[in-house]
Amino acid sequence: MMQLTTAPGLRSEIYVPITPKPVWTPLKKPLSQCKVAFITSGGIHNKKQVPFNTAGDSTYREIPSDTPSSELMVTHGGFDNSDINKDVNAMLPIDRLRELRDEGFIGSLVDTFYGFMGGGGNVDKFTKATGPEIAHKLKEEGADIVLATGGCGTCHRSATIVLRACEAAGMSTCLIAALPPIARQQGAPRITAPHVPIGSNAGEPNNKEMQAGILKDTLDAVEEFDHFGQLKMLPYEYRHNV
Amino acid sequence: MSLSQEVLQEHLDDPAVLCCRRPAGTLLSGQDFEDPTIFDDMVESNLMTLSDDGLSIRQALGATLASDAEALTQLTPDMLTDSVQKDESALEAVSQIQDKEATPASSKQSVESVPTINSDGTLHLHIDKSEGIDLDIPLGVLPSIAPAEGMKESVSFKAPAVEESIPDKVLRTLVKRDYPVHQVVLGSQTSYADGVLSIDRSLVDQAKESDSLVKDITMDVIAPNARHVYSNTIMDVIPIAAKAEGKLGEGITNVLSGAVFVLTGMDEAGVQIHEFGSCEGYMDEKIRFGRPGCPDDSDIMIRVDVRIEEGTGMERRGPFAAHSACDVIIRAIREKIGALSTEDAVNKEVFKDVRRKGRPRVVLVKEIMGQGAMHDNLLVPSEPCGVQGGEKNVDMGNVPVVLSPNEVLDGGIHALACIGPATKEITRHFFREPLVEALQNDEELDLTGVVFIGSPQVNDEKSFVSSRLGSQIEAMEVDGAIITTEGFGNNHIDFSENIEQIGSRGVPVVGVTFAAYQGQLVVGNPYMDAMIELNKDEKGFENEILADNTLTADDARRAILMLKNKMSGIPIEPPERRWDEAIIKDNQKLAR
Repeated sequence: MMQLTTAPGLRSEIYVPITPKPVWTPLKKPLSQCKVAFITSGGIHNKKQVPFNTAGDSTYREIPSDTPSSELMVTHGGFDNSDINKDVNAMLPIDRLRELRDEGFIGSLVDTFYGFMGGGGNVDKFTKATGPEIAHKLKEEGADIVLATGGCGTCHRSATIVLRACEAAGMSTCLIAALPPIARQQGAPRITAPHVPIGSNAGEPNNKEMQAGILKDTLDAVEEFDHFGQLKMLPYEYRHNV
Repeated sequence: MSLSQEVLQEHLDDPAVLCCRRPAGTLLSGQDFEDPTIFDDMVESNLMTLSDDGLSIRQALGATLASDAEALTQLTPDMLTDSVQKDESALEAVSQIQDKEATPASSKQSVESVPTINSDGTLHLHIDKSEGIDLDIPLGVLPSIAPAEGMKESVSFKAPAVEESIPDKVLRTLVKRDYPVHQVVLGSQTSYADGVLSIDRSLVDQAKESDSLVKDITMDVIAPNARHVYSNTIMDVIPIAAKAEGKLGEGITNVLSGAVFVLTGMDEAGVQIHEFGSCEGYMDEKIRFGRPGCPDDSDIMIRVDVRIEEGTGMERRGPFAAHSACDVIIRAIREKIGALSTEDAVNKEVFKDVRRKGRPRVVLVKEIMGQGAMHDNLLVPSEPCGVQGGEKNVDMGNVPVVLSPNEVLDGGIHALACIGPATKEITRHFFREPLVEALQNDEELDLTGVVFIGSPQVNDEKSFVSSRLGSQIEAMEVDGAIITTEGFGNNHIDFSENIEQIGSRGVPVVGVTFAAYQGQLVVGNPYMDAMIELNKDEKGFENEILADNTLTADDARRAILMLKNKMSGIPIEPPERRWDEAIIKDNQKLAR
């Protein structure tokens, strides 16, 4: 009988994050010709819309991309809302995106952005329903790029799930992450990470320069990244004292 | 997050943390708990702290919240109504699923004693729960036994149906005859005699004519005691070897020992031919002498420095032109050494492709670069480590290709890849690949072959080649596999998918790569539970020292032991979340 020489007590030497399978759509156009969409799991919606259920909600709100930022608000129990209350662009940089379009940095914007509340998000529902639905609608609109902000910890997971659905549907996506380890673990195809707290994931409120910089650097990263799972730290720092 | 029942049962003993805001009076069930798999990241990001006095999900299930609580709050006993009658039905529901879906792994709780193999050749298995059943099974009737946890040291892997041993079958024999080189002279003719290698200087001119992309070539000789010489980035280290008899992988190969070719280069604009990192600098500082791919401490280096057309360093044709030009010079030497007399050889190494029936069948998979640009490799050239006759893996679509172990060790791979210098496997590496040698010599194993699979650039092609590997492994009916990759980053996507293709077919697999700090894996799957780290850099970086972080004989020993453990059902303990040199050292002690 053949014996194998063994020795108990070996440990695996490399930490392996158990991540979902890679999903990847390369960007095939210059940014100036791309149609860009933005989604956020940070609980942004129109003031006239039904607020999210902070105990867990897998529904989403359509936000026309020409909505004045003054008509938007946040409903989210997972983080301090004060920065978004000062300037909704800290989570959904809708004014900055329109400026980037007007200056020709990007080609155009989709007609509809999407807001949802990803805190404690039900993984099954986001994976099977919410994600594919949003992806389908954005694809129908002809989006080339989908950018997103997370919000809280589990919001990063919910946002990643929806982005993965978009990537699978043929759009190049990037999560602007305040918590890059979570984005990575959950399998975000591309990640940029400014040094910002949750609650102002897209940059300091009323700091147009930082918000625009984060967006531009993120769009550049979408163009530059050539494979799944890449992460780029961005040189912007903001700390808020709650 | 609302944990599903299946997920819940896996995490009953993990901390109970609310997924969302919950009001007082909530009767806690699966839908109230956050998925424990994200806790490590949450703690690391300072979003959550976990205390030791918290409740487990098992303890909190079915209890009632005493007051309102926010999302991501860890439940402690004081947060639950103490007078409440805990609703046990929630836990019972989970237990039922556990029972129903009991896997062999979880059923071990009901096996009081570990199965043992008795001296009379029977398997003894005692099962307590089913009112005590003792099973004594003659091993001869079992086609295969996967020994259970607890059977350690020298465990039986397979019980051959016939007791007498089956003789090993030698498929082919390769003899490498060594001819020493004590001096290298650049002169007017090419010859080898009495330890002196003379190389005709005019070969440089011939080499320049080999490809229009080659603009200039210089050749010089660097003695072992005078290595503080500045060099362009090192593209390759190439042994001088020629067939004396037979084709690649069998017969006799004459090898000049003590001298190697070192191919360096830049383009006309002065840009180093490299992608991720370059090892230009002083050769005594930029080469990890003694690594399988590198010159050894006592080797004379014959440096061929090639200047190629501006801007072609990052295209396939640029580096290929440089390798082809260098091969013009080496080819002239090969023609002179193929017919050297046997008496002049100082040493003889014998390599055998052996099939060892009745031993566990294993395969070595080597992932090589294949992403266009300068990531290419030549497979099975007509002469050892040569260029001519080799097939480019990029042109073959990076699909898995099987070489016999002898073919690999006889210079069956000419490496063109210009990835990071510290992690790339260059031509000399394959000529003395430590894992191939160790597996080939391991009498406990039956090495079936070495599969080379490229890492393609296009995502769809990645899944295509990975799935072909899976089918190939299935057809080979192996009992175990080791898979290595050079480089890091993008190719780790292929690496993890390749491991999944093997592991998901029930084949124990060990993964070998550089990861450490700079190359931390960003993708993974549950089959990647037995991993070997190739890093040798103190800080865990691609340090731009040639071949520093490549596979050595020590790494090969750990990988093979890990595979034998895994094939024998001995658990491989999980890694630390961060690269930890101490684990590697401890493993190495066990693998001595």
